[in-house]
Amino acid sequence: MPGVTSESGDPTTSIIQLSQNPQPVTYPVHHGLKPPLSRLSISWARGNTLRVTVLRQPQQPEDGDEESGGRVVEVKLSNNGDGEVDDAHWRRIAYGSVTPFALLQSRKNSFSALSKMSPLDSTEWLQYVMEYSKEINSLLGNPNSSPSLAIEDSRELLKDAERPTALKAAWELMEVFYADKQSEAWIPERLLDWLADYDCLFSGTQLTVHSKLVDFQKELATLQAVEDDPKYWEAISSALAIGWLDVVVKLLRLHGSYQFDQLGSRETENGLVEAVAVLISKMPRMRPDLEADKLGECYKNKPDFMKAWERWRAQITKLDSSAFWLQCERHQTRDGLKNMLQIMLGNSTSLSSATFHWLELFVAHFLYIRPFTVGLESMYNLAQKCIQIKPTFVHHKLMGLLIGILGENPEVVLAECSSSFGPWMMTHASELLTAGSIQADILLHEERPKLGGICIEELNRLVYAQVLSSHVLTWQIAPIYLSSCTRQGMGLLETVLHKQPVQHDQVLLKSIEICRLYELDSVSTNIMKISGMHDWKHGKKGSGVFWLQQARDEVRLVKIAKQLFDFVGKSVSDESFKQWEGLLELLGSESGSAGGLDFLNKYRDFRRSLHQAYSGMTNDAARKAAEALISLMKSPSTPQRFWLPILYDSLQLFNWPEHPLLNVSQTNLLLNKLQELSMARLRPDFVDADLPPEALASVRLAIATNLGRAILDE
Amino acid sequence: MDKAILTLDKGSLCSAWNYSGQRLAAGSVDGTVSIYDSEDPASSNFTRTFRFKVQETSILKVVWVPPEYGDAVACISADGILTLWEEVVNDSGPPQWKFCKSFDRNSSQVLDIQFGVSTTSLKLVAAFSDGHVKVFELLDPFEMTNWQLQAEFLNVIESTSKFSSASCSSASISWNPQRGEISQSSFVLGFNSDIPQLNSSKVWEFDQDHQRWLPVAELASPEEKGDQVFVVAWSPNIGRPYEVIAVATLKGISIWHVGSNPDPDGRLSVERVALLSGHGGEVWEMEWDVSGMTLATSGRDGVVRVWQSNLSGTWHQQALLEPTS
Repeated sequence: MPGVTSESGDPTTSIIQLSQNPQPVTYPVHHGLKPPLSRLSISWARGNTLRVTVLRQPQQPEDGDEESGGRVVEVKLSNNGDGEVDDAHWRRIAYGSVTPFALLQSRKNSFSALSKMSPLDSTEWLQYVMEYSKEINSLLGNPNSSPSLAIEDSRELLKDAERPTALKAAWELMEVFYADKQSEAWIPERLLDWLADYDCLFSGTQLTVHSKLVDFQKELATLQAVEDDPKYWEAISSALAIGWLDVVVKLLRLHGSYQFDQLGSRETENGLVEAVAVLISKMPRMRPDLEADKLGECYKNKPDFMKAWERWRAQITKLDSSAFWLQCERHQTRDGLKNMLQIMLGNSTSLSSATFHWLELFVAHFLYIRPFTVGLESMYNLAQKCIQIKPTFVHHKLMGLLIGILGENPEVVLAECSSSFGPWMMTHASELLTAGSIQADILLHEERPKLGGICIEELNRLVYAQVLSSHVLTWQIAPIYLSSCTRQGMGLLETVLHKQPVQHDQVLLKSIEICRLYELDSVSTNIMKISGMHDWKHGKKGSGVFWLQQARDEVRLVKIAKQLFDFVGKSVSDESFKQWEGLLELLGSESGSAGGLDFLNKYRDFRRSLHQAYSGMTNDAARKAAEALISLMKSPSTPQRFWLPILYDSLQLFNWPEHPLLNVSQTNLLLNKLQELSMARLRPDFVDADLPPEALASVRLAIATNLGRAILDE
Repeated sequence: MDKAILTLDKGSLCSAWNYSGQRLAAGSVDGTVSIYDSEDPASSNFTRTFRFKVQETSILKVVWVPPEYGDAVACISADGILTLWEEVVNDSGPPQWKFCKSFDRNSSQVLDIQFGVSTTSLKLVAAFSDGHVKVFELLDPFEMTNWQLQAEFLNVIESTSKFSSASCSSASISWNPQRGEISQSSFVLGFNSDIPQLNSSKVWEFDQDHQRWLPVAELASPEEKGDQVFVVAWSPNIGRPYEVIAVATLKGISIWHVGSNPDPDGRLSVERVALLSGHGGEVWEMEWDVSGMTLATSGRDGVVRVWQSNLSGTWHQQALLEPTS
């Protein structure tokens, strides 16, 4: 299970960085026993669950009330990120991702079957990947946009949305850069949207615009003249810097100059506020569209956007140099608005002081300084510049991921996915990576002799399948991932199946179904054999025989037949034979190959008809019994030691009052058998049936009588 | 992340899970064996369902018989006696644990045993305190009482080796977990004894043509051949072109790659790819996970360590499990 790395969070512990290994993760094993301990015993349970048996030293004098001699503690070694997603949600994600994953695999297979060309070059393929990405994304949580405008309450700046997960944030980031080729031209705007959704995730370790706004919103309720509070202007410029225009305009409209009683005396001030608000809401955006409540004017192509952008900046410059500022008496308003204009004009000092971490500054640069930044290299350089200005001291997984993406370093991306988001992400995000980056494609698909010849992609799937098989509710979906592993998938699936507790019917049937699906005949045979043995030894003889037959286990079936034989041989006239009839019924259907069973079936038929003949004394039943007798005696599978008991049981048939039941040739057959039997008795290995000593003589006499009557008849 | 799932009776000395991890057998200082079960496969709440007296002396080791042969355990007691017990239902009563067989042992003691399963037969390897190894075969899958001695040999490469009577304190056996092929039947075995030739771990393979067991590999460097072996563990192979076997000695845990194609002398190529130190002394147990890529070990330092190889083939400790009350 390599690749399940520690949660150390150190960005340098890349799984790929060959010389380094992560620090071991420490798991506590809470056993609650009094010392001294004597031994630790270990056993792997499902998937990557390890069971540790902690044993106390027996017979300690100070024992007293300590009643237990040891405890077994189960430790799950899975790494599902940092626990932001609970187990039940993980299972929903796991189940939900099966269909999109399987669909994408089958499309990939038909793609490679149809054409030799790599799916990487195909727009159709990218569409499939995008479809896949969208579906997976929808599993990771509701689409939310936390800093959206709340219309209902004019003083509520941010909606109290469900906290998004870093998992979803990471997925969307990879989608933007690797899968969504259609919006490549407006990646800066997509990053802006992304940050709007997930800026709150950075609040845990540092100040963010989001946390600033949340704090300010709390104070807002108690503020009378907001414009006098420096925090008001700080909040506005921060929101403006990272493009939360709707929030900015909403905040501006809270400005005191809008109030009815103020309008007269603060007309110019209000005009300036409104002018800035209008400029903001008319900001040109290089993107196809905007959500309904978002502000700005969209331009799809670069020339149009450039013209609008120049025009817009000219308007800002004009406003900046307007004479109205001199008439604005409130210096807080004047300074605040002027600072906003500086932000919009791309003054880097203003942008820097309005943002809190490099990602915010990064987005601000896109918005106001370099709206045409395209290409990963220039983005990476810009990111480096922003990191220099706003260095972070705590590693953040999403920042690490973005740097890996921008730096075109799939190793870092994979390492970040592995250490921060675990095997699910490793398995599913690979599809995005390979679709969007040739280096990643090579990295993931290169066969590695040190891994026993598999590639990293296969390794990831094996690891994930192992995690899935750790839980009783998810093990059934592991085969879907294993079947996509060409080298070791089936091997692991076989091992996983061999460890299923097949004495439970549901597990047994599910396992057999999986075996059938993936053509693992030898595994299903073995499973059925285990089940058959378990049932047979636990008193469920019929079910035991059934499963052994399904397993076509000749060795065991012959042994069972022999056991029945021995039983039948001992008590041929015993009523308890009835108990075995059902079993024989079962054994009957496919008895051809097991000779003993063939005999037992014929013997059962014979016994039945004999019983009917003797109880009803009808000619018809007697004839049937005689036929059964002949068939039994003709059959080569009827063991010799049964001949005499069978004939002895048939005495009444030979002396049937109405007419002889056996013709001459049939009677001769019986006489021959009797002769053979007499010869065999001389051999040392002969087993004598448990019959009266005169049995042979009386049978011989009866058959002779029958022969005489038959000759007369004919 | 950790969860206690079962409490053992006072005096428990050893424990073993069955193939599916649904049943635990534990041997006790008073010579009894207890069986613990859970209600259904989803439950992780285990309770004791059986307890039966096996011997007058302590039970040191319990090993489950492979499930193709029912629910049965082999027990080694402190006086070195090996017995087999089986769960059966007689005449629709409740299941009972029934004595099947006690193996003859002369004056030596049984140190370790392991079952090897193939499509047609069940084999049992037992290592004895006098350095002998015996391989038994079950004749009838329904008769746990009926075992035939198939082979007996010493754990040495040169069968002509001569030494005075050996005294072995422990031994460890691990079968190749590969199922199916009878011809490929093989296991690895190492001793902890006072005779250097006996100690080193050797891979034994059954030679169908001559119907005998042959040593096909020795897992020790020339200068370490006499080192006492604590535990050996053969890794499941889900598709590698080579086998992986872990061997623990006082020097640490060695990970060996064993080639699959024999040279003209019938020997397999071996390469030690890692020597892991951590337990700082005796290693008690080693177990590979289902994928054969992760090794868990426990030892005298009282912790469990989990080892993995990274992508470049370098082995490292991946996790540490620390018991705490």
